[in-house]
Amino acid sequence: MCIKRTPDSESRFKIGAGRSAIDETGLKFDMDDFASYAVEVALQMNEKQGPGETVAVAVGPDSVQETLRKAMSMGADRAVQLKTETTPFDGLAVAKAIAAELNGGGYDLILFGKYAFDTSASIVGTAVAELLGVACVTAASTLEIANGRGTARRELEGAGEVVQFSLPAVVTIDEGIARPRYPSLKGIMAAKKKPLETKPAQLGPVRVTVTSMELPPDRPPGRIVGQGAAAVPELVRLLQTEAKVL
Amino acid sequence: MPNILVFAESRGTELRKVALETVTAARTVVDAWGGGEVHALVAGAPGVGAKAATLGQHGADVVITCEHPAYARYARESIAATIAARATSAGYRAVLLPFSAQGRDLGPRLAAKLDAPIVSDAIEVSGSGDSLVVKHPGYANKVIVTLTVAGAPAVISIRPSAYSPKDAPRSAKTESMQPAADPAAERVVVKEIIEGAKGKLDLGEASVIVSGGRGLRGPENFKLVEDLAAAFGNAAVGATRAVTDEGWRPHSDQIGQTGRQVSPQLYVAVGISGAIQHLAGMRTSKTIVAINKDPDAPIFKIADYGIVGDVFEVVPALTTAVREARKAH
Amino acid sequence: MTTENVVFLVVVAAAAGFFALNVQRLVHYMRLGHAEPRTDRPAHRVWNVLRVGIAQAKILREPIAGAMHATIFWGFCVLTAGTIELIVAGIFPGFGYDRFLPAGVYGAYQLSQDAFAVFVLGAVAFAYYRRLVLHPRRLEGDNVEHLDAYIILGMIGMLMVTLLLSGGFLAVARPGALTDTRFASSALGAALARVNPESAWVGYRITWWAHALLVLTFLNYLPYSKHLHVASSLFNVFFSNTSWKGERAVMRPMDLEADVEQFGASDVDDLTWKNLLDGYSCTECGRCTAACPANITGKPLSPRKIIVNTRQRLMEKGPLVRDDRMEFLRPMFVHGEGADAGTKTPAQVLENRLLDNYISEDELWACTSCRACVQECPVSIDQLDVINEMRRYLVLSESRFPAEVQPTFESLERNGSPWAFNRADRAQWAQGMSIPTMAELDARGERPDVLFWVGCMGSFDDRAKKITVAFARIMQACGIRFAILGQEEHCHGDPARRLGNEYLYQMLAKDTIQTLNRYQVLTIVTSCPHCFHQLGNEFPQLGGRYEVIHHSTYIERLLQEGRAPLVSEEGKRLTVAYHDSCYLGRYNDIYDAPREALRRALPVVTLVEPPRHRDRGLCCGAGGGRMFMEERVGKRINAERVDELLATGADTIAVACPFCMTMMNDGARSRDASVQVLDIAEVVAQQLA
Repeated sequence: MCIKRTPDSESRFKIGAGRSAIDETGLKFDMDDFASYAVEVALQMNEKQGPGETVAVAVGPDSVQETLRKAMSMGADRAVQLKTETTPFDGLAVAKAIAAELNGGGYDLILFGKYAFDTSASIVGTAVAELLGVACVTAASTLEIANGRGTARRELEGAGEVVQFSLPAVVTIDEGIARPRYPSLKGIMAAKKKPLETKPAQLGPVRVTVTSMELPPDRPPGRIVGQGAAAVPELVRLLQTEAKVL
Repeated sequence: MPNILVFAESRGTELRKVALETVTAARTVVDAWGGGEVHALVAGAPGVGAKAATLGQHGADVVITCEHPAYARYARESIAATIAARATSAGYRAVLLPFSAQGRDLGPRLAAKLDAPIVSDAIEVSGSGDSLVVKHPGYANKVIVTLTVAGAPAVISIRPSAYSPKDAPRSAKTESMQPAADPAAERVVVKEIIEGAKGKLDLGEASVIVSGGRGLRGPENFKLVEDLAAAFGNAAVGATRAVTDEGWRPHSDQIGQTGRQVSPQLYVAVGISGAIQHLAGMRTSKTIVAINKDPDAPIFKIADYGIVGDVFEVVPALTTAVREARKAH
Repeated sequence: MTTENVVFLVVVAAAAGFFALNVQRLVHYMRLGHAEPRTDRPAHRVWNVLRVGIAQAKILREPIAGAMHATIFWGFCVLTAGTIELIVAGIFPGFGYDRFLPAGVYGAYQLSQDAFAVFVLGAVAFAYYRRLVLHPRRLEGDNVEHLDAYIILGMIGMLMVTLLLSGGFLAVARPGALTDTRFASSALGAALARVNPESAWVGYRITWWAHALLVLTFLNYLPYSKHLHVASSLFNVFFSNTSWKGERAVMRPMDLEADVEQFGASDVDDLTWKNLLDGYSCTECGRCTAACPANITGKPLSPRKIIVNTRQRLMEKGPLVRDDRMEFLRPMFVHGEGADAGTKTPAQVLENRLLDNYISEDELWACTSCRACVQECPVSIDQLDVINEMRRYLVLSESRFPAEVQPTFESLERNGSPWAFNRADRAQWAQGMSIPTMAELDARGERPDVLFWVGCMGSFDDRAKKITVAFARIMQACGIRFAILGQEEHCHGDPARRLGNEYLYQMLAKDTIQTLNRYQVLTIVTSCPHCFHQLGNEFPQLGGRYEVIHHSTYIERLLQEGRAPLVSEEGKRLTVAYHDSCYLGRYNDIYDAPREALRRALPVVTLVEPPRHRDRGLCCGAGGGRMFMEERVGKRINAERVDELLATGADTIAVACPFCMTMMNDGARSRDASVQVLDIAEVVAQQLA
């Protein structure tokens, strides 16, 4: 499973000095939500199909070690940090680093979150599959493995899709598939003794870089549209033109 | 002159709205460069080529159609190979796709195949020469990130609705090509499509949720909530803890600290006062509408739009209005 | 010494020896539990023995059953003097206290023997009546339990009968041998007057022996019976930590760095010896269970079962791990509560454990930590301690807890509040109120009189924010210089601790202590009883020592000192039922301050009390982390409580806790009741001039 460390999505963000990154002071970082679903699915698969080895991989500076430890406290057997100076925004470069690490590793199933909260890009998982030349299913909301084949369900725009695929495969995991387990203190203690390997990430040329970051305009404050059924037409108009949800 | 290749998404033999949006995005960029062509590639079931004119209408100079019976369903690897083949043979400054379910899948595949830099979910593309400048909302739309993309071709997927389709009529040249990979050799095969109405939509996945609280006064009145949800198309129905505790709705419908935590595009709170337990489960929704008879109800503090009034009067009226609005759309 | 004396001596020695052997074995099992010092504050402990034990203070909380028990207990104390005299005389003929006691005193002693024998007989008769006719719900038990009770009551009754009869026969056989004060024996003698003296002597010897043998049988029956409490409960009261203010109800400190095999308790040997002594001391009177809000509303928790199961499991595991072959008798007598754990073979005994096989996860999570069980227990058993230790095991060792608790843990970790609210919004309630933060004062080199700890409910819950504002307004009106931490405040971890997540608790608590110490905080006021208890009573475990005052006490003090400018008109007459918060009341003995504050603020208030109030108050249902769990089984606790409060006819329910506020509000709404629910701070703030 390939995981990422991201700031808590509930945070209120500020842009840091230099305007090319968010201000990290006061932010709580943790394993990305989707990545934690992927970890849970991997652990459940291993418990059901086992005994196999579950490995957590992350690309980033040393702070990701904390996230890798968390994966191990949940139950992953070992972890690999592909070290970079900062968390890169170039999805293909990250995919190349991961593919280089996983190539020849004999993995049956490579799991990612559907996307990571910070970059919100949905690139790395699919690109790794393409680089490794294996099957890829994105945004799986169910996943079953039997007899060397996988079956997954995906929720698309307005419809569900059931797909079958050959192994090895990359699967990116949607929310709702399984509630990520809460690490026990026993798990946290055990994770301190599990192997965590650090290697330089083979990113290759980085061609996508952040020029600047800015906050979007403030959400208009909430308001009472009106009283009773008479207010309905105005509400519908606002939903169509302002909120653009109709 | 630099050209842009657009993947014009289709379903069956119909173009999707995002296809036109992506063509418009490409047209806008090329026009800003002061020249260049927009090439649109359509990969679909036989018959989809007939729609080429529509792409020309929105600014495609060349339309390449690739028809195959197996393309009646999305054949990810074959289509990716086909676009890559075209991109390699013709040489483009950029390849644009929609950031749709298909585009999310195709973009990274193309990037890997072409060894091209990629940016997803762009809301604005500009720049020229060596580097393109792309605006992309990150951090769940809380931060707008401006990215510089160096190298050609750049693969860029465009957020749906970021560009509205615009007329830029021209008579597009049409070409056709064969799939660059056999769709029968897909590693991932679609076994079944479950249309929305058949499977009950999960609260976590619904883009619209209509939720009811104690203000509905009884389980029988949840019909109002269900009707409103149906009017939105395929919205999910949720409930507060008070309601599930009373047994009016199953516990699995509960939204809140001890139930499901959701953040749909639109959350409609019907007869919900807004206890902390409930707010903890839905306050991150993109747009919140509240209908409650008590103007002091805490729900109005976090709602984007509120109507103070009797739910038994307001909700049926809203149901009718939403149904009509969607029909007109 | 006659042959009879020698035989008696041998019998006494054998009986005492067997009893001692059994006691030694029970102590041996008890020491399977962890070590724990329980001898600090000896004076206080002796006082507890006198008050709770000898004076039967807690037994008498129930007047009728209490009087019955107290009669038997005091009877036992008095009659033991006679038993000693009798046994010594059985070995050394002719011995009697009259040898060294003045005649008057001896006469009084003799009177006491007969009087208490009669009283005890009466009490035993009532006890039979209660068990056989009245069937109080709390005395439910299995067949072994019932038989055990009948046997014990029968033995006590027979002891009294044989005592009085032997006196009667002696009066006939040796006229003048009894003092006149043995009125009951003399009366029996008069009734037996037609028996000839020789037969009477034989009758005397038979009843004497019967009495003596019954005493020894009783003594040796105890270790096999739930009536072991006769021997253990005074010790249990002495070693208990359930009574002194401020420190009772404090969860055990826990060293998370310790190199231990597991955290928390899953079996009897993970508990402490005191928890196991609790098991020996339980007579299964069921007062704990009868007071348990979870049990009352039909949930799968009985505090009595927790303790009975602990003993049951100890009696099963103890002999095996101690390799004790003397236990052949035990299985006949050990009885249980709840479903049969199905332990048949020694291998199964070792495989099974207290958790799951005896006590289910659901029982443990049903607890609201309200302490009603601990409060009621006449022998100072701490049921809550066992529940807390087992919850710790579930969370820390197995990560097992109701699924809906996980968001609470995760939010505490990420947002510093049980709900996923943004910490930046913490002080939103204070906008426009010109309340300084500690950081602002610190920057100006100032210090406030008190720190107002707002708490997560008070910061984020819309209803509770009104309480926060009301209390702040009162303090402003009284000219108190106070500050808040603002964004620097986060949860101190109490909900996590109550939910068994000691790791998360210590993380949050240590961080809070750092913040408080950085500002050199001395005095804290808070409107939340949970914050009050945690900051004041449990933080010292981690080195945080502050004077913490609950707002009810603080407001009462301000009113008493006349510092709060109140409107002079009398206001409208309110009929108020005050709902006691567990963490304020049973945890900290604060019952009067909130009531007094109401009276002072509203001179025409009529305070009404539901039957369960003060230290018998029924929990609102939110404690022990229950706020963050579903309540799917049985009646909702808050509905039960609101029904009780509405039955008083009150038009206002007053609370002093934001969690109680939520529960009472929800309960009142589910009953469509028009009653208003107000925090005492709100009542007082309304009266501010």
